[in-house]
Amino acid sequence: MNKDIIRTSRRKGLIFGIVLVFLVLINFHIMIATMISKLLGTNVLRGAFPEARFMIIFLVLYGLWVGWSAVSREGQTKTKLLEGLVAGMTTGFVLVLFGLILFYLLETRTDVRRYLTALSFSSINIFLLDLEGVGVPVHFALSTLTGLFGGALAVGLRSGAVKGFWNNIKSFIINQRQRITEKLPEFVLKYGKYLIYLVLLVVLLMMPSRWGSYNNFVFGMVGLYVILAIGLNIMLGLSGQFMIGIAALFAMGAYSVALLNSPIPHGVMLGFWPSLVIGMLVAVLGGLLLGLPIMRLRGDYLAIVTLAFGEIIRILLNSDLLTDFTGGPRGVQNIQQPRFFGTPFNDVSYAYLIIIAMAVSIFLYYRLENSRTGRAWLAIKEDTLVARATGINVSKYKLLALCIGAAFAGLAGGIFAARNQFTGPNDHTLMVSINVLSVVIVGGMNSIPGIILGSFALRGLPELLRELETYRLLVFGALLVFMMLARPEGLWPSSRPDLEQKGTLGLKEDLYPEEEEEEGRENV
Amino acid sequence: MSEFIIEAVKVSKSFGGLKAVNEVDLQIPQGSIYSIIGPNGAGKTTFFNCLSGFYTPETGDILYYGTPIQGMPTDFIAEQGISRTYQNVRLFSELTAMENVLIGLHNKQNTNWLDALLHSPRFGREDKWSLREAVRLLEFVGLQGYGDFLAFNLPYGLQRRLEIARALANNPRLLLLDEPTAGMNIQETTDITQFIKKLRDELEITILLIEHDMKVVMGISDGITVLDYGTKIAEGSPEEIQSNSRVIEAYLGPGGAALAEKYQNQRRKNNA
Repeated sequence: MNKDIIRTSRRKGLIFGIVLVFLVLINFHIMIATMISKLLGTNVLRGAFPEARFMIIFLVLYGLWVGWSAVSREGQTKTKLLEGLVAGMTTGFVLVLFGLILFYLLETRTDVRRYLTALSFSSINIFLLDLEGVGVPVHFALSTLTGLFGGALAVGLRSGAVKGFWNNIKSFIINQRQRITEKLPEFVLKYGKYLIYLVLLVVLLMMPSRWGSYNNFVFGMVGLYVILAIGLNIMLGLSGQFMIGIAALFAMGAYSVALLNSPIPHGVMLGFWPSLVIGMLVAVLGGLLLGLPIMRLRGDYLAIVTLAFGEIIRILLNSDLLTDFTGGPRGVQNIQQPRFFGTPFNDVSYAYLIIIAMAVSIFLYYRLENSRTGRAWLAIKEDTLVARATGINVSKYKLLALCIGAAFAGLAGGIFAARNQFTGPNDHTLMVSINVLSVVIVGGMNSIPGIILGSFALRGLPELLRELETYRLLVFGALLVFMMLARPEGLWPSSRPDLEQKGTLGLKEDLYPEEEEEEGRENV
Repeated sequence: MSEFIIEAVKVSKSFGGLKAVNEVDLQIPQGSIYSIIGPNGAGKTTFFNCLSGFYTPETGDILYYGTPIQGMPTDFIAEQGISRTYQNVRLFSELTAMENVLIGLHNKQNTNWLDALLHSPRFGREDKWSLREAVRLLEFVGLQGYGDFLAFNLPYGLQRRLEIARALANNPRLLLLDEPTAGMNIQETTDITQFIKKLRDELEITILLIEHDMKVVMGISDGITVLDYGTKIAEGSPEEIQSNSRVIEAYLGPGGAALAEKYQNQRRKNNA
């Protein structure tokens, strides 16, 4: 019994230790220590290293986590503490081995940066807590102690008394909420939802002119991703086509606006608004051309083909072949700014433009979803064969989904190009497609709030947390894995509408048409 | 106009070397309840799939009101008024019951995506009509109040009914039911049997069903065709099929006919 416990907690400690080793190898510990240091008010200059005490704070937090997660749900307090202790010791052991190697490297002044780019001497120094050889036993002691404390913390916080305390607070909040809702007048209850929307709308309209151009840039990007994600959701969430090449459609919109509004290479200068429409049409055409050959493909095959499509478009834009036409690797520069009744656009007007485009996209999306077309798409996604036997022309509707989704992507691309006044092949990499895909999946398929939330989480936060920039892919991957485990249906999963209620009401109206009319007359 | 709603002439379909359906002839009079029976693997479902357009038969014709429909796209065949259900219930399980029926109404609706985007008057009218129609259909199959449940949350018997409601939404003239009573208890089976009769009598739909439950088959069928190893071995009224020696042999193996006769004699004696 005891042996089993020790074995499992040893395994957990080992995993945590190895993970930490890998994090150190990619310099992640420096970043965390920097963030902690900034949070505690000691600024660290870019490129400089934080003080070792912040590294200790990181290690303490990590050790507490090790101890906490090693403790099982059931069992005696003594065994629980033992679990935390053993896990902490194992992690400490791993760190000691690792620390010894690093210390050896430090002593012999061996530079391994040729193989492990991030492992500089200063990085090693910080890992050894600026104590050189003494740092190794300190690591062991720290891990063991924090593992034990973590275990104790888990025991304490999961005990009955603490749980009861939380439950008390919860029920208190629920009670208060009930009492408040009872006192509220009826119209607030009835129209409360719309009131909140109104407040949000006002805030949304106020913000762009107040919070500076950097925020406008960041949240504009979020908005563009919402539009892109709506486009992808029509393809993926509604009609069930696993499309990874949305960056290509995005590029078509962007390049249309760019080429028609830049002095080089063509000097057409058509103006923003008509070229935005042309961009959408070009994207639709692209969707159509992509759609025709892939109608018979499904699942993984479809994913591979669309992925290839995205890459082909990017490589074409990059190639010598089209340099004269699209500007090649240099991209298209000096894109003319749109004018709205004579006034040129600045960052605030772009923010408003994006808000309007987003609102229109959401509005149109809802209309599409709750229609014959939307339901046909959903049917195709759920079971293509049955959908066909129900009389749905599957190819036609799949193509339609690709085209309409492409129009949204083209819209986002056009605004994107004009806002940056530049677009090049590097704006339309595979990463864009994968980002949009992640937004839809992390946020929640077929759920607009989910998509907005996902855009904020995956586009807005990384921009705001500049520290993470280097490790964005790491955090990204971790987040995706975590989401798939914890909430496979997304941050804000979609729900189906209550149509029977609506239909039954309609039926009643029809059963008693005279009453309805009389009421109408009275009201008049 | 032919007096038969659907007619199969020497229909064959093989998978590799296996002749799943071998030169099967079938004629189904309008307004009848017709059954196809046979042991497992006899090719009943394959034949069904040929009728509904999932498979294209290699040889032979399928005539619907005298016009050939073999090889036509499935959605076209559905549009002509042939609906079907499936051996294992195949609903759009992540959608609500109402949405399932609304999808079934697809052929009866005309609006396109532009109407949906603009909410044209046509869209409003049709939306209202569809909702009402769907509610009516749910009530007809006894699913009122379950409309806003997700399909996979419904109990098994109701899922089968929902599948029928979805098929009925297409306003079919021929309804293909693939083992409608599979996995049901006695009470549910009786209900479904009554319900099938009601479909024929009230809605005047011709019904073709595959069924294993002999009580159901003998109780409601006007005609029966028996398949075995892809070939038709017998055809006729329930009484004729019951006493057909080839049918009994197909079910019970060689010598089965004699055995059955022995038991029938014994029963007669006991009754006397």
